[in-house]
Amino acid sequence: MSFFIGTDVGGTFTDLWITADSGETRVFKSPTTRDVLGGVIDALRLAADSYGLSFNDLCSRIDRFGHGTTVGLNALLTGNVARTAILTTRGFADTLEIGRLRRQTSGLNETEVTDVYQRNRHPPLVPRAFVIEIDERIDVNGRIICPLDETQARMAIRALKQQGVEAIAVCTLFATVNPVHETRLREIAAEELPGCFISMSHEISPNIGEYARMSTTAANASLGPLAGRYLAKLEATLREAGMKVPIMMMTCAGGVLPTSVLNDRPAYALFSGPAAGVMGSQAMGGQIALKNILTTDIGGTSFDVGVIVEGRPIMRSDISVAGADIRVHSIDVDSIGAGGGSIASVRTGGELQVGPRSAGANPGPACYRRGGKEPTATDADLVLGVLDPSNFIGGRMTLDVQAAKDAIEDYVAKPLNMSVIEAAWGIRKILDSRMADLLRRMTIERGYNPRDFTLFANGGAGPSHAWVLAAELGLDGFVVPAAATAQSAFGTANSDLVFSTERPSYARIQAGRQPNEDELGRIRSGLRMALEDVRANLKAAAAGTNVKIEKFLSIRFRGQSNHLDIAITAETFDLAAFQAVTASFQQQYETLFGKGASYAGAGFEILSVRVTGIAVLPPPSASNVGQPLQRKGSRPVVFDNPAEAVDTVIFHTVFPEAATDVRGPCIIEFPGQSVVVPPGARAMADARGNLHVRFSA
Amino acid sequence: MTQAALNPVLFEVIRNRLVAISEEMRIALQSVSGSPTVTEASDFFTGVFLPDGSCASMGFQVAFQAPVCGAFIRHITHKTKMPLRDGDMFIGNDPYIGALHQNDVQMVGPIFVDGEIVAWAGVEAHEVDVGGMDFASWSPKAREVFQEGMRIPCVKLIDQGELREDVLEMITTASRLPGLLELDIRAFIATINVARDRVQELVRRYGAATIRQAIERMIALTETKLRARLSELPDGEYHGCDFLEHDGHTNVLYKIDVRATKKGDSLTLDFSGSSKQAPGFINCTRSGLAGAVTGGILPTLAYDMQWNEGAVAPVTVIAPDGLICTATFPAPVGSATVETIWVTNNAIMLALNKMLAASPKYRHRAQGVNDGAMATFNLGGINQFGEPFGLHLMDPIAAGGAAWPGRDGVSAGGPIISPMSSIADVERNEQVVPLFYFHRRLARDTGGAGKYRGGLSTEVALTLGGIDKAMALVMTHGAEAPNSAGLGGGWPGATIRQTMGWKAVADGRPANGGEVEVFGPKPGLMTMTKNDLFAVSWQGGGGWGDPLERDIGAVEADVRNGAVSKEAARDVYGVAMTGEAADRAASEALRKEMRRKRVGSFADDAEKFCNTKPFYPLSESLSLARDNRGVHVVSPAGYILATGHTRWREGAISVTVAQPPQAHRILLHENLNATTHYCPASGVLLAVDMHEKGVAPVNDQVLDLQWVERAAETGA
Repeated sequence: MSFFIGTDVGGTFTDLWITADSGETRVFKSPTTRDVLGGVIDALRLAADSYGLSFNDLCSRIDRFGHGTTVGLNALLTGNVARTAILTTRGFADTLEIGRLRRQTSGLNETEVTDVYQRNRHPPLVPRAFVIEIDERIDVNGRIICPLDETQARMAIRALKQQGVEAIAVCTLFATVNPVHETRLREIAAEELPGCFISMSHEISPNIGEYARMSTTAANASLGPLAGRYLAKLEATLREAGMKVPIMMMTCAGGVLPTSVLNDRPAYALFSGPAAGVMGSQAMGGQIALKNILTTDIGGTSFDVGVIVEGRPIMRSDISVAGADIRVHSIDVDSIGAGGGSIASVRTGGELQVGPRSAGANPGPACYRRGGKEPTATDADLVLGVLDPSNFIGGRMTLDVQAAKDAIEDYVAKPLNMSVIEAAWGIRKILDSRMADLLRRMTIERGYNPRDFTLFANGGAGPSHAWVLAAELGLDGFVVPAAATAQSAFGTANSDLVFSTERPSYARIQAGRQPNEDELGRIRSGLRMALEDVRANLKAAAAGTNVKIEKFLSIRFRGQSNHLDIAITAETFDLAAFQAVTASFQQQYETLFGKGASYAGAGFEILSVRVTGIAVLPPPSASNVGQPLQRKGSRPVVFDNPAEAVDTVIFHTVFPEAATDVRGPCIIEFPGQSVVVPPGARAMADARGNLHVRFSA
Repeated sequence: MTQAALNPVLFEVIRNRLVAISEEMRIALQSVSGSPTVTEASDFFTGVFLPDGSCASMGFQVAFQAPVCGAFIRHITHKTKMPLRDGDMFIGNDPYIGALHQNDVQMVGPIFVDGEIVAWAGVEAHEVDVGGMDFASWSPKAREVFQEGMRIPCVKLIDQGELREDVLEMITTASRLPGLLELDIRAFIATINVARDRVQELVRRYGAATIRQAIERMIALTETKLRARLSELPDGEYHGCDFLEHDGHTNVLYKIDVRATKKGDSLTLDFSGSSKQAPGFINCTRSGLAGAVTGGILPTLAYDMQWNEGAVAPVTVIAPDGLICTATFPAPVGSATVETIWVTNNAIMLALNKMLAASPKYRHRAQGVNDGAMATFNLGGINQFGEPFGLHLMDPIAAGGAAWPGRDGVSAGGPIISPMSSIADVERNEQVVPLFYFHRRLARDTGGAGKYRGGLSTEVALTLGGIDKAMALVMTHGAEAPNSAGLGGGWPGATIRQTMGWKAVADGRPANGGEVEVFGPKPGLMTMTKNDLFAVSWQGGGGWGDPLERDIGAVEADVRNGAVSKEAARDVYGVAMTGEAADRAASEALRKEMRRKRVGSFADDAEKFCNTKPFYPLSESLSLARDNRGVHVVSPAGYILATGHTRWREGAISVTVAQPPQAHRILLHENLNATTHYCPASGVLLAVDMHEKGVAPVNDQVLDLQWVERAAETGA
């Protein structure tokens, strides 16, 4: 027997998804430990026990070990990172603090952004005292304006020794056009501070724009010593126990890479948790022939959405972390502060608000009785009958219905002169409408029709709210994936090898002109360099020869600050290829911004090129033999009408069998989630244990 | 239907949707626009309006612009009485109708459902060039609005969905950068289409009456909340003033004077004390004043409310015609936004913050002025790609934020009237425009001195990159007027310093032998070459409290981080540095001596002290205390500055100077003086006032003591 394993280290739980070659899958959860490693090992032990194997027996039978984690992200957010210095061009040491003014307002939600008192929440990633100016300057064309003063650089770097610096980020102006100074600075730094972790900006974030590039390189450097240590330790432990395959780490870009390739680039894995969740939905969609998916995850504090179009997730080129713009190619996961812990409150003038303030897990909703006084969305769900007070998280926790009612009564119902049920219904309605607004933003506003998508409901609270979200968007139902509570872990074990990189390649094509051979040649050369980088890294990742290459051009109308990434389909980037790209750009532009918005009269600017290589990894087999749903009586549940609770059948299951076919109103309770099937709808399971809920029964 | 018919749940659902729609409009416009003023500085507006022109919901952008489209809509519906049909859109930019200045091109469209107008969608954006005698439509030498950019009162550009290409061509032809303007106008059309689709969808789902009611309630809710907040703040009269120098022709000093009278849940802003209108382009019209008022109220008092028309409902404005902030036709107003509107906004915020400072509940968020000036560096000519170009450098918004009681201001904090401004990367700028930077960094000693220091401003030094020469337009206010005022004894941030090193660059590097010219506020148009070096530092934020009260360790850290020089540490903060470390004993002695020097000798007449505990705060070092003689304004030493009223300046020792000590980096116009007020018993700095030469500073917090006593009794 051999195993495919996916693991995901979250803030509270470490999830493990495992499938044996029989195709039977299991999910295990273990509390995340401070050293991270322990949680993973604990989850593996749980899995080994369940198969009656020893830890070593299990490890020696692992065919794939996928791993995702928010460890790097949390380290950055808490500042618990290596002591890092930055080397940069003289005159620009305040780049992180000035932060393009974006740092100052970063992390403020929609109700905080108008309040200047909330600004400056995140200090710069590296304090000013550790940013060292070096005498050198290269211009936009790569010309050396001021040669590198090696003596000054060496003395400045030497002075860092006493400061206990563990990592160095080298980021000089226009290093992406001419890296000669950065490369030399790395050599000097390596000589002066042996053992120090060094990142160069032209390697980590090869594009124009010094703020994001410096942030990314600094984040990368400050995580380097840390991430490397824990992954090396995990890998060593598993190898010692007999594992023969490398750890495959999920990256932000939504593919895995062996740790050996990622050790120098921890920033590439910053968002591996959320990315893995989307990749899990993509993989599952692929297995059941769904290409357009809205993947949603409702947890305690946030509602996360990813969009998969034609089998590929929508990407973005930068993300904001700890106040800094991090430029890494990432799956676009947008989120708002809406979840089970979202607090409902009545403000001056009788305004009922739900979220973004959250009670989190501590003190948590009022019904947890851990000191939370204010009512939350979870309290509302409990009062409405959606949650079973005695079967929450598989019965591991008992919820206090009266406490939930009291909180809603005191904080919402009384001030608004409503009944408790009406107030609870209102809380849910407002929360759901906010989430629906985010789904609209991710689809309609990008020119997509949500009706062309299938909604995947993940996370603890996802399956109990999905029926409203689907109805709001005019969909005919939703899918609860078999691994909905461990979607990220599932994703890490079900992804291909992916490496993606970019190169700056600027060209300015005025209206009425075509690019000349020189301009086309520069774009070709950018594509070639990026391609070489991709091939080298995939080779290092031991990918086979079957590599799929995708190429993109960043293009905008001349003068704009936003661009679109347009796929290049031609083999060679010639004039015809340029024309194809601009045609496709204008078409996508009008899809996004409306007919008539496109204006070729402005001319075009080409900014950079991107190459992504994908090496297919064989997917694990997954075909479960589930069990029939167990009927557990019924209870009144409020659906659309707060005045009328509907008697609703309750089922329990761990893994629904393929023959499952039940009619709403019913609630199917899993350990950790409750699937709400509204009146008139129908829920059916497929062979892989995914539950399909349809309104048009 | 009555208001009560719309339940709170449905209201919140619709409200969230409308906010999402105006945000969607913002994102659409910002993504499509080619103007850096839009894509970086957020100098644009998107919103949804009621049929009467009331703004219901706006995106997170420059708050000055909130009233603009509403005035335009009212002009269309009341003045022109043009027939309105589904699919129509109107374009305009007349500052004597609704725009702040001609660069602000606006477009609005009625949203019809079943033949009836249910709402309007409006957009507006600052366009780099709309014609006129000088590039960028800012003409320092203009004497009439006719010499500035084209003025479009109101033209139907889209007729029932059909774009009138002839009109579009006429408009873009007037600009030096027609392509850029056309790109933005197309963006406007797209943005209004988006709003129309979304609002119509909403109306079809919930009905026109419900949506109308929800919008009215959104506005009413903001009004209710703002009135509730005003009720919590002390009744009284608060004074704020600010200055701007040079009207494009001569270096005259102009004053914006505002008396804010707060009574109950209403606020009156009286601008009657302001200077008469100027002969140059710095004026603003009544539209500009409306923008400045909205921009003053929103971030200061309505920071946690939905931004819409309701925020100005409790506010009455008194301003006779012909003031610099109510200029009458045909006064030129080309640079209104960065001159009079900006400064009027400063004065309003200063007055309102003095009210917050006198409130136990809100004093923690009282502050001086953020980002008190927006300097201009425009460049035009032929760029490195051989194209005609015009750039409007946005870096100057990276000035300093003001300090609060308990927190330093944010360095490069940016304007607070625009929540989501940003500046472009140096590399991006050098890639697309002909600039080459020598530095872009935080400027030492620019933060207003105080117990809590104002944030530092950014400074840049640059020359041309990739071209030999270009025309530069350099202008600002705030080079000789410290607009970023401090509060509670805090000093203003540094004034703007702009210099040109003529022939100071060789081979792309600073070279010896150049000649450095220190510019005044408005040197205007000039030819600049690749051998010239333009350097500028902007204003730091205002400080809070007496600098001698600043924690010695904090000053030491400031010196180490380069925020404060050793000279300023000694001269302004009274901190003696030995190498990298502060000498505590020497510093304490120095501070004591400095306090004594401020007042000569410490007053010790027992009669002048009140020994009871203060019961109400006025600012950092001023409070109210009561004994058998009545209610007094007292300093921390218990010294009585005034009795029976809060006009405390009469009891302080006041020192007036023509130029503050150099370490503040504040330069004053020849008609501007600075007066510092000290506690006679302790030498503590109570307030720093900027005022016209020969005119006594005004008592700026005149509280209704009956209100205060009532509040103190009820514990409110």
